[in-house]
Formats: sequence, C-alpha cells, structure tokens
Amino acid sequence: MNIAGIGIVFNRGRGLPALEKALEEGWVPPTASRYSVSDDFIKDRVILKEMRRADTFSKMACLAAHDAVADSGLSVAGKSSLGIILASALGPYVTTFRFLDDILQYGDAKVSPTVFSHSVHNAAVSYIALCLQSRGPTLTITQFSQSFYQALLLAEAWMLEDRCTHVLVGSAEQCDDILEYVCRQKIHLAEDGKIEPFLFSESPKAVPGEGSVFFLLDKQETSGKYGKISIHGDNGVQGLDMYLLECSGLTGDEAVYRNDAKAGPLISSYTPLFGSMMSGIGFSCAAAALMLKNQRYYAAPVQSNPHNAPLCGGHQSAPLNTIRCISYGCHNEKMEFTLKHAHG
Amino acid sequence: MVISGMGVVSGCGNNVHETLDNFSTGCRKGGPPSLFKTDLPYPVFEVPGFQAGDGTVMRTFELAVAAANEAIRESGLENTLLAHRVGVCLGTTVASQLNDVDFYRAYRNTGSAPMHSVDRYLNGNLAGAIQQKFHLSGPACTVVNACSSGTDAIGVGISWLRADMCDIVICGGADELNRVPLCGFGSLGIVSDSLCKPFDKDRSGLNLGEGAGILIIEKENVLRKRGREKEFCISGYGLAADAYHLTAPRPDGSGLEAALTHAMNEAGISPGQVAFINAHGTATRDNDKVEGDVLARVFGSKVQFLSTKGYTGHTLGAAGGLEAVFTVLGLREGWIPQSIGFENEDDEIGIAPVREKTIINGNYAVSTSLAFGGNNSAIVIEKE
Repeated sequence: MNIAGIGIVFNRGRGLPALEKALEEGWVPPTASRYSVSDDFIKDRVILKEMRRADTFSKMACLAAHDAVADSGLSVAGKSSLGIILASALGPYVTTFRFLDDILQYGDAKVSPTVFSHSVHNAAVSYIALCLQSRGPTLTITQFSQSFYQALLLAEAWMLEDRCTHVLVGSAEQCDDILEYVCRQKIHLAEDGKIEPFLFSESPKAVPGEGSVFFLLDKQETSGKYGKISIHGDNGVQGLDMYLLECSGLTGDEAVYRNDAKAGPLISSYTPLFGSMMSGIGFSCAAAALMLKNQRYYAAPVQSNPHNAPLCGGHQSAPLNTIRCISYGCHNEKMEFTLKHAHG
Repeated sequence: MVISGMGVVSGCGNNVHETLDNFSTGCRKGGPPSLFKTDLPYPVFEVPGFQAGDGTVMRTFELAVAAANEAIRESGLENTLLAHRVGVCLGTTVASQLNDVDFYRAYRNTGSAPMHSVDRYLNGNLAGAIQQKFHLSGPACTVVNACSSGTDAIGVGISWLRADMCDIVICGGADELNRVPLCGFGSLGIVSDSLCKPFDKDRSGLNLGEGAGILIIEKENVLRKRGREKEFCISGYGLAADAYHLTAPRPDGSGLEAALTHAMNEAGISPGQVAFINAHGTATRDNDKVEGDVLARVFGSKVQFLSTKGYTGHTLGAAGGLEAVFTVLGLREGWIPQSIGFENEDDEIGIAPVREKTIINGNYAVSTSLAFGGNNSAIVIEKE
C-alpha cells in the first residue's frame, strides 16, 4: 500500500513539522506524569467548525485525518471512493466516564444526550466523514494492542476487492486521570517520565500518552513521497536498514524484543517521544515514513543500552530504503510493518 | 461466501429452534429489566433463562459463545475447526466500553476502585476472547460501528475471505443489556415506554434488547473439501456513510440507498429479485421514515419487508448478526414472521411491513443496518 499522506496530533504538536522537530530535538520530559495533547493543538475553527460540542478524542482524530488527506493532495472527486478506518484500543472512554458521572450526579433520567452520543466509539469517524464530506465506507475497530495492525489488514483487503481506491487509516487514544490510575494498578509507570525502550525489561515502565495519527493509503504502483507500507511478505532482514521497536512499557514483558535487537539491523524506538499507547505503533510508522522521505536517521531519543544493541546513536542524513516497525501484543503475538522508500 | 452455520440467542429464544417457534406464533416477551436496577420505565428484551456465569467474564462474551457453539455445531466444524485458518470478526457496543457504574462510583468517591471490572473488560475484547476460547489463530477484529456493527463484522469477514487472509470466519455480533446505554438512548428521547411498533403510524421509539447472532462463513472450495454442500451464501455487502449528523440519519436516505445499491451490485442482482427485506426498523420516528422511504424508492411499494426488532428489541452491536441469521432462516423456511408491533400504516412512509406470517418466494433476501454516526450497511443473502 502506498502512503500518500500523513496527519498527526501528539503531545509535541500537530502536523509533520511537529513530528520532525520532535525527532530532531529528542526526548523531553512530560509536564506532568503523562504525555497530554494541549488544547492549543486541537483548536482549528475552520476544520472543526461543525464540531463545537465534540470531545477531545474526536477532535484529535478529525484533525489528524484531515491533515493526512490534505498532505496527500487527494481531490474532492477522489473522496467518493475513500474508505475510513479508525483503530482505537480504548476509544472515547474519557467521555464514557463523563456520562457515568452524569448518571451518578443526576440520575438515570437526567443525563446528557450530547455526552452519550460522543461516548460511542464511532463518533470520531462520523465527524471525519462529515468534515471531509466523504460518503464511502467507514469503520471503527478495537483490538487493544492489535488495533492498528487489524486496521491496516482491512484497508488492504478493501483495496484488493476494489471497495475503495483510497483508505484513510488511523488510530486515536486518549488518556486521563482514570486511565493513569488503572495503569498504576496494572503496570509500572516511569516516575521520571522516561520510557527506556532498550532495557528490554521483563517489568518495563510506561508513561501514558495520547494522540492520533492517520495515513492516507492508496494502491498506486508508483510510490509517493513516503513510500509503501506492508504487513506481509518476506520477514527476513536482508536489505533492511532499521528496526523500530514499539517498546513502551504497556504490554508487560519486553524481553521478547531482545531477539529483534540482535537480528542485525540498526535499531531505534521513538516511543519516548509519543508516550505509551496501545495502538501506538501507528506513531512509530509515521516516524519511519518521515525518515524515509527525509532520507535521514534520527537518533533514538533515549539511549540507555545495557544489552549493547546496535542503536541509532545520532542524527545522520544517509540513504535509507527499508524500515521495519515491530510490536508485540498482549499475548506476545508479533506484528511487523515494513516501510520501503519510494526508490528502495 | 458460503454460510455453513448459524446460531442465535436473543429475547426471542435461546437458539434457532426456539426463535422459529416464537416467530411462528408471533410471541414476544419484553418486560422490565431484571439484570440491573433503574428508575427508567422502559421495557427491554432480555434473553429468557440465560444461565450466565459468575461475573468474571462479560455477559456479552457468554452470549456470543452460546451462539457460536450453535453455529459451529451446524457447520460440522466442532472437531476440525483447528485444521483451518479461522478468523473472528464480531460487532459489539457494550463489550468495547468500560461503562461499569460501580467501578466508576468507587473511583469517584474514594480515588481508588477494584480492578476486577478492569480485568473483565481487558479480557473481554469480543473477537479476541472468542479467538482464545476456540484456540484460533486467524485474524481477529472487533467492530464498533454502533448499531451496524454486526452487519459490518460480517462484511469484514467477506473481505478477509476474498483477500485470502483466512479460510473460515466466525462473524456476527453480540451485546448484553446494560444500564448505561439504556440511560443514553433514553436521554435522546427515542426509547418507548411500551413494546415497540416498527413502521407503525403510532410508533414511539425503540426497546433495547440483548443477544448474539453468529454466522460461520467460508470459501466454497473449503466447504466442498469438507464434503458439504452449499445452501446459502452472502453474495453482496455494501456500506456507505451519511456524512450528515452524529445521531440522525440523512433525511434523503441516500447513504442507505448507496449501501443497498452496492450490495446488490456485488450480488449481481436487481431489486426485483429480492424476495424480502429484514429492515433495521427500530421503531424510532426518524429511522423508520427514512428507511421506509428508501425501501419504497429502491424496491417499490409492494416489497415484502419486516422488522424483527419487535421480537428482540434493538440489540445494538448484535442486531446485524441476529438479523442476518433471521434473513437466512426466512429463505430456508420459505416464510417470514409478521412484523410484530405493526398495526397501522403511516401515510408519511407510504409502505407497510408484512402483517402476518408470510410465504416468500425467491432466492435472495436483504438485511439492512443503520447506525449512530450515519453508517449504513446492507447484505444480500442468496439461497442456492
């Protein structure tokens, strides 16, 4: 699948310039105990003009989706065959808890219909379709750590069967005090705000994050500016320049990544920039696509490396053809996303 | 894609046999909720006598397992499921949300809450949990497209099979009754305080229900290798967005019409070949008006159609799965039940569902789903 456009909203800002800046600058500690998206990053009176009552989850997703389409230059005519798939591990759960708050505060009969309608998982995609005036297939899926992988799988299937010519695929996650509380009960959180991916720890530490990333995909034979993404095929390391490992502390034992770190290619991980998200592999794929476009290696933002893995230690502009993003799910199921440069 | 098995559990019965009995006699069993306390006056459709476990797993999962077991038995795959690449794609709404009032009350009051609700939720991703239950290794995907989730999950299964991502798919939907959506739908003013009347002039809203509807679909060559004959298949699927409003359908119904047209084009049929339609028919003013208009426009005013929500209530993420099974049953049995609850034609719609148990002739039938967020889905079922 050809990547024609990318849109992103995360704790460091909105858009690819913000991602590029974050990759250049490296790790910065969160301002609180988790990485949050500032309200300033999701203010856009033009794009969000129909979304005054929308929640943060929908706004993040809508802006990322809009920006991916704008980045691709897809015409209005092209939108008639545009599919939209949103993957989210937890959906707009913050709004769900707002609705529960209403029930406890006011009783079953006096709750807000607006809050309820935004607590439904597919509210965000509804807004995206409205914003883009896209009348094609729309779907929201949830599969915890496999969410983004399953979304890409379906996007590929939709294009293979000509259900649509373009598919807008993305993920969105939100974090608030309740999720942070749950994380504290279930996993280890890094009190210094630093995810250390290359410890490959059996009890890794996470820093919850939030944001949304979208890719506009098509099946053009010729690659666009970001190249192609595949979730199948030869999984060998020949011709591979780099592994991006999705070690973020969320899914438990990360010792499983040690074998990948020893496989040969240079390795890196940008989870310390984004924070820990169950569908966070989409953000790593965006980083990989940008590296391929820029033909630039960005240093791993956190470099603690007790296992002497072949880390990407510094920024460097050099030929870069193939990057593979690797993520393990809650049951150690391996997911691989191979991105190839347009001329690779 | 061939349908080799089906299973249902809903307020209309714990299996296909009971469901057909209740369809045949026009029996429905809505009443006040017993699964949770609420001061709302709305009747619901609970699954009668369903033996749930100790609460360590979601009721939605248990409903899905019951329907899946029936479907797997019918498909003849009980002992050979693991020999195939089997995907799981299921729609739901409740199982995708941690809408546990007790958990949140504890957190709100004390700043801490027991984790068993969280564990149940984290272990309850519907497709993932069913995949683990049956030890399957194909793709697994939980569709959360609100009220069209079940139909769209079947659509995803079709796409997987066409793309050769697996050989067999367990697909459909499941949802349990829950206080939170009852409050939510109530707040929208679209829940009736009496038993629902889909497409009736005096309809006053929907009733919520619970259940699961599961289909086993597979590639034809896989079915033949198993020594079984093709009887029914899904020959078309369409989905289209309204791009109009978060909760209201587009008044001109063009999104539903696009979904129907796409599904029939895939099936290679014309509207005149459709024997009957199992409509979404929630009994809300807006849904039934828009849907009725579209059915009349696409299929003509004499088309035979019904809503089965008068028997099951609106089962949200399960609805598309249940109604796909009901549609297959209509083709198999050669009759469809009366569209229960319907009495008086609405002049504003100008089309009426079947008033009595009706013999049907033909090899094709359609099931439609409309969802919050403006998603419209349709599947075409074909009888060989």
